[in-house]
Amino acid sequence: MNLPRDGQLLRIFIGESDRWGGMPLYEAIVQEARKQGLAGATVFRGFEGFGAHSRVHTARILRLSEDLPIVIEIVDSMERIQSFLPALDKMVKEGLATIEKATVIFYRPGERPAEK
Amino acid sequence: MLSQISATRTLIVGAGGFLGASSRYLIGGIVYNYLPATFPYATLIINVSGCFFIGLLGAMAEERAVLGPTSRLFWMVGVLGGYTTYSTFGYETTSLVRESSYLPAGLYVIGHLVAGLGAVWAGAFVARWLL
Repeated sequence: MNLPRDGQLLRIFIGESDRWGGMPLYEAIVQEARKQGLAGATVFRGFEGFGAHSRVHTARILRLSEDLPIVIEIVDSMERIQSFLPALDKMVKEGLATIEKATVIFYRPGERPAEK
Repeated sequence: MLSQISATRTLIVGAGGFLGASSRYLIGGIVYNYLPATFPYATLIINVSGCFFIGLLGAMAEERAVLGPTSRLFWMVGVLGGYTTYSTFGYETTSLVRESSYLPAGLYVIGHLVAGLGAVWAGAFVARWLL
């Protein structure tokens, strides 16, 4: 798969406890992105943050570490990112999604054969 | 009113707390079968072992993400919290130290010792005053 130089970065902010279809929401989003043939997705767990409810979640205080922030980043062409949005919209009940312009410097599969 | 999610989480913590508190009670009994009752060995053993397990689980959750949020809630807040709140104290103090928040960490430790022991004395004082 090739990526055009002018791509988009989709960034999704959700909570670690969010679920979809019996699995963590971040996992469901990654699976959906893979199913739709997107170029890749990366999940990060945040150490601290707050969202629409203004409640701080932090790993520092045990009682407040229940729902740490999760950020998922997906880079692909504008068309593929846009076609992914309806599925994402259905899955995320609480959270934030942003899109930024991304200049793709390289996208290399390496030597390993693609996994089936 | 508790939302359904909060109620579920509270039940998860409660179930873990039952196991943790029961374990503490049983271990306390076993310890004094072998050690003399001249020193509170059981509480020391329980507090130290609780700290060890919260360190173990905390690192597993943070560095390898092998514990999901529900498992963390059950084991770290429920089981270990019921076993000994000292584990939570240990986790939070080391978290503060790790991020170089030395003053809050120091105040937290001193607060527990001074205010905690002082509160025992104050509680006893209030009880005597009431009776």
